[in-house]
Amino acid sequence: MSLIHIKGLSKHFKILNRREGLGGAFRDLFSGSYRTVEAVADISFDIEAGEIVGYIGPNGAGKSTTIKMMTGILKPTGGVIQVNGLAPYENRIRQAQIMGVVFGQRTQLWWDLPVIESFKILKEIYKVDQTTFDKHMGLFNELVGLNALYSQQVRTLSLGQRMLCDIAASFLHNPQVVFLDEPTIGLDISVKAKIRSLIKTLNSERNTTIILTTHDLGDVEALCQRIIIIDKGRILYDGDIKRVNALFGAYRTLKLQIDNFTEATLQTLKDKLTECFGAGHGITVAETEEFWTDVTIDQARTPLSDVLSFVMKNFQVIDVRIVEISMENVVRKVYDGALG
Amino acid sequence: MRSYLPVARATYMIGLVYRFGFLFAIVGNLVYLGVAYYLWKSIYRHSETLRGLTFNETFLYVGLGSAIFILLKTYADWIIHYEIREGAIAMYLTKPIDFQIYALFANLGSMIMNVTVLTIPTALIMTLIFKVKFAFGPGLFLFPISLLLAFLVSFSIDYFIGIMGFYTESVWGLSATKEIVVTVFSGALIPLQFFPEAIQKVLYWLPFQAIYHTPLMMMTKPDQGLNIFLPMILVQLAWAAILFVLARLFYNQAIKVLRIAGG
Repeated sequence: MSLIHIKGLSKHFKILNRREGLGGAFRDLFSGSYRTVEAVADISFDIEAGEIVGYIGPNGAGKSTTIKMMTGILKPTGGVIQVNGLAPYENRIRQAQIMGVVFGQRTQLWWDLPVIESFKILKEIYKVDQTTFDKHMGLFNELVGLNALYSQQVRTLSLGQRMLCDIAASFLHNPQVVFLDEPTIGLDISVKAKIRSLIKTLNSERNTTIILTTHDLGDVEALCQRIIIIDKGRILYDGDIKRVNALFGAYRTLKLQIDNFTEATLQTLKDKLTECFGAGHGITVAETEEFWTDVTIDQARTPLSDVLSFVMKNFQVIDVRIVEISMENVVRKVYDGALG
Repeated sequence: MRSYLPVARATYMIGLVYRFGFLFAIVGNLVYLGVAYYLWKSIYRHSETLRGLTFNETFLYVGLGSAIFILLKTYADWIIHYEIREGAIAMYLTKPIDFQIYALFANLGSMIMNVTVLTIPTALIMTLIFKVKFAFGPGLFLFPISLLLAFLVSFSIDYFIGIMGFYTESVWGLSATKEIVVTVFSGALIPLQFFPEAIQKVLYWLPFQAIYHTPLMMMTKPDQGLNIFLPMILVQLAWAAILFVLARLFYNQAIKVLRIAGG
């Protein structure tokens, strides 16, 4: 029996069609036409105890809605959903006891009080006994040095410190499954690394199942063995990360700002790249924003450094940035049948 | 219940964090007491008693009313509405807690905080500066119980309005209306005895008088028998229970709608 069992899950919302302008707003007061939005259309998957699963997709794909159904906040329109053998929305209080939740944009800590007070409150809410509490607090301190933060008011914490506390707090009652919704949003690289290692250690120490939704493919790469990609309420891919890794792991985008840029420059760039690296070089060139040219490189075929030095030598480059491939591009590539 | 006690403790502590607010509140009360003192003094210029109340009794009523005003104003409507709007309610829904009990204890903490830093100093100001004389009697001992019941009634009304946030984008208008209705009809500003007979009769059948009038009368005329006080407490108890259950049913219904319609 898997820990989370989902079959044919769907969730529809009725949304009022708002009319335009002041007159329209008045008319909406009295009557309105509704349209149905399929936030989740048809999703099935099983998650075993101890897995870390990356649940990813572009904005509006239905990630949060699925998480809300798994945590019992929303009731599904159709399909089966079971966490530890029970429907979350029917057994909310019992199910809440075995779950931990972190919403990256919110905090479960008490804003005005020192950090330790929130932990004390959670201890009572989840009925954690003193021995377990002490043991866990010791572990959290060992992992990220939380002791230093305990006497600080939550509001004075930095975003990264707050997130570390929030994640630790969600593991306090030894849950079987923890949902992490965008845990690294808005954080810098070094804090991200700290958070990833915290998640990883907690997962292996307690064999806690972790469902991670994120926009940061780096998180997924660092943490997950398995990845579920969804878009428009349906699953696009569910399986080993290694295959998807090939999609975004190998790709890098070189953003260039070229002096005296014209349409012709773009064409010259394309031609020269083909000339230098030959056909099948795995490089695509496109102008994205004003003044910026995106050169996406498949590193499996052409080394990034070669392209960079080639461009620097042959063009008047003002500015350069190297970025990882975006979530939207991964999804597009999956659509294009990149995973077969 | 034990798991909710730390919540009350936490809100009590938050009160201590913002300690300067109370200084201003005490100064505000002092000004209000001054105005009320001269207003009622002039009303009582030609008579010893009005509507069965002496000047001392009326001023005690009004002054103590201002001292407990902040306790019985729970702000639960604003807080809950805000949490619904911002989606913070999701945090509570993923925890093994009963939201109503949780909110109750959260408010209880700040109420007890207010007793220590506001009600007691204001009562001291009344005796020391305005020379109000407190009478003695069984009402004195029933006052804390009555105050707690008044708090429950007030909380349930505010909680109910807060839950409206599930259905409407703003509860500002509702809250403002409720504020005025409660302040006037509960006898927070003027003892209910000063209302016309006919209106008084109606007001005694409404829950609002259970919030201010009942506990304040216990302090104003404490030397009465239990045959007077007991029915007063029972009426409060009945209102507290009815409103608490009504608010609970309303919440359950709202949550059901949320679960289906989403948020």
